[in-house]
Amino acid sequence: MIEVKGLSHSFRVGKKGKETEVPVLKELSLKAKDGEIVSIVGRSGSGKSTLLHILAGFLQPDTGRVLVDGTDLTAMNEAQRAAFRLERFGFVFQNFQLMPGLTAFENIELPLTLKGVPAPERKRKVEELMESTGLAAIRGHYPNELSGGQQQRVGIARALITEPPVIFADEPTGSLDSETEQDILNLILSLNRKYGITFVIITHDDEVAAIANRQYRMHDGELTEGGLRHVV
Amino acid sequence: MSFKDQIAFVRQHIRRNRLRVFMTVLAATMGTAFLIVLASVGFGLQKTIKDDILSNQMVTQIEVYSEDMTDAKTDAMKKIGHVETVVHRKQLVPMALGELEGHTGSMNTYFTDFKDEQASGFKLAEGRFPEKPGEVIVGSQFAEQLIDESKELEEGEELATYEGKVIGQTFTFSFEGRNDENASAAWPFTIVGVKEAPGKDWAFDGYLYLDESFMEEMESAYAAASKDRSEEEDMPFTNSQVNVYADDLANVKSITQALKDDGYAVYSVSEEIEQIDVFFLALKAGLIFVGTIAILIASIGIFNTMTMAVTERTREIGVMKALGAGPKLIQRLFLMESAWIGLVGTVIAVVISYGVSFAANAVLPIIVDAALGGETGDSFEVTFSVIPWQLVLIASAISLTVAMISGWRPARKATKTDVIGALRHEL
Repeated sequence: MIEVKGLSHSFRVGKKGKETEVPVLKELSLKAKDGEIVSIVGRSGSGKSTLLHILAGFLQPDTGRVLVDGTDLTAMNEAQRAAFRLERFGFVFQNFQLMPGLTAFENIELPLTLKGVPAPERKRKVEELMESTGLAAIRGHYPNELSGGQQQRVGIARALITEPPVIFADEPTGSLDSETEQDILNLILSLNRKYGITFVIITHDDEVAAIANRQYRMHDGELTEGGLRHVV
Repeated sequence: MSFKDQIAFVRQHIRRNRLRVFMTVLAATMGTAFLIVLASVGFGLQKTIKDDILSNQMVTQIEVYSEDMTDAKTDAMKKIGHVETVVHRKQLVPMALGELEGHTGSMNTYFTDFKDEQASGFKLAEGRFPEKPGEVIVGSQFAEQLIDESKELEEGEELATYEGKVIGQTFTFSFEGRNDENASAAWPFTIVGVKEAPGKDWAFDGYLYLDESFMEEMESAYAAASKDRSEEEDMPFTNSQVNVYADDLANVKSITQALKDDGYAVYSVSEEIEQIDVFFLALKAGLIFVGTIAILIASIGIFNTMTMAVTERTREIGVMKALGAGPKLIQRLFLMESAWIGLVGTVIAVVISYGVSFAANAVLPIIVDAALGGETGDSFEVTFSVIPWQLVLIASAISLTVAMISGWRPARKATKTDVIGALRHEL
């Protein structure tokens, strides 16, 4: 379970010595239970990406705590947060963020390589996952040889490969057409149901947000819970 | 991430930037090769000079000087640790004369113990060592000092020296008493062996080597022939020359010190070599310093390449950090890349340096000989370049250290890459 308590953050902008503080997140609290899909929807500049960066441990908040199964992420140093991410989180990015020099197979394999999993086990796991996510045909393709939808599927497979309990998705369909968007959303839903993975989705799109069990709305750094949808 | 995977990761990045990495490796290679070849000249000249000294004298030989040398003293020297043998030669002081088939000449004569001489490395060019009384050994140029004085010389004509073979010949030996009268005694000696010629062309060996058993008899004859001599003219019958031979070059220093402690004046080639070594140590350090500057220049290339690599891969570094790569891993991957450049550059440089060194030693003497109009002669042996393993080790250590230092800052920069900023890169 992810629990956010009293989270505030501001950015310093302007010339050195004449900086002004711009508050981005104001006393936020948030909860994501195990196996839930949580969406945070808001317009550009509302602070939703900053919130995701703090939740993922990319950024340290000014105040407040981020508890993941009781472990305070904000109390860790950079190396500890990196190790925690490798163990517990998966990431899906708007621009896919695949390594251009690696094939689809190698991109999916990367988190396992970072974890130090032996090569034969990596090969077996990646092949199984590529098979189950319909990516087997493109295993040797480089990212620039794939369509946006295929790249995002590879990105989702990469997030899944370590079997993390939580996957953060930052505008996962932001770079896709509406048909591919639906495919990706269906994939997220099916993975959530099949493996019970918690998804935290950041989006500006209400349709994307609608797949969530729990919806939050972000406006000028403030968060309001927009409803709880119970999936039958 | 396992070490094997880290290497695979680095190799994959190097493959993607082949040309740039190749140029950087080339710069590192040139810098390191320059250092090795430059310093190898110092090693080469040192070797040439040392070889020259060692060819004149046995390296394990220690010359000992004392005004009152006795056999008891030389026997004591034999008991010093690591002494192989002690050769006590006694050079005859009175003027001695030899006569062979009408040819006469003054004899520079040594009394010696042939067993000790053999143990010290005294070698014969032909014949054998004396076995019976009356048998002697002569130096390689013994015949050249026997002159036919009865023959009157025309203008420009050279003295007629003995041309025949000396081995097996019997000649008469005598010496003058102090009162300038011939010693009454004269000894017939048969030449049974000729000593090996000295290493250097200019060294002259016309000596007569007698077994020391003759000495007592001759000394009595000398005393009889010199009975009217004045006290002022009193001179010893022989002068001592003592050479101590160590069992190994490494022990020369300790024996030399032991002899000095016993109050002897001592000279060994090791002392001269020590001075040469000090001089060349300074010279080589200077050359290595100059060579290191070349490596430092090459390091600018490594720094640039690695900085470019970090800048180009900002987004990739961001993705890796986002996925869970720690700062230490990121730093290690970049340091490994710069170390790889340094390592490959060093290995190629060592191979090239050995090639250049070999070529220099093969070609330069020919060029120098040609430039001097072929007057250097057969004895012209100069080693221009020597690359000992220590030099390879020093150059490799300098090259790798410089490569690592050059890669350090870019690697640190990579670890400090902001994940959020990096993920926005190229957006």
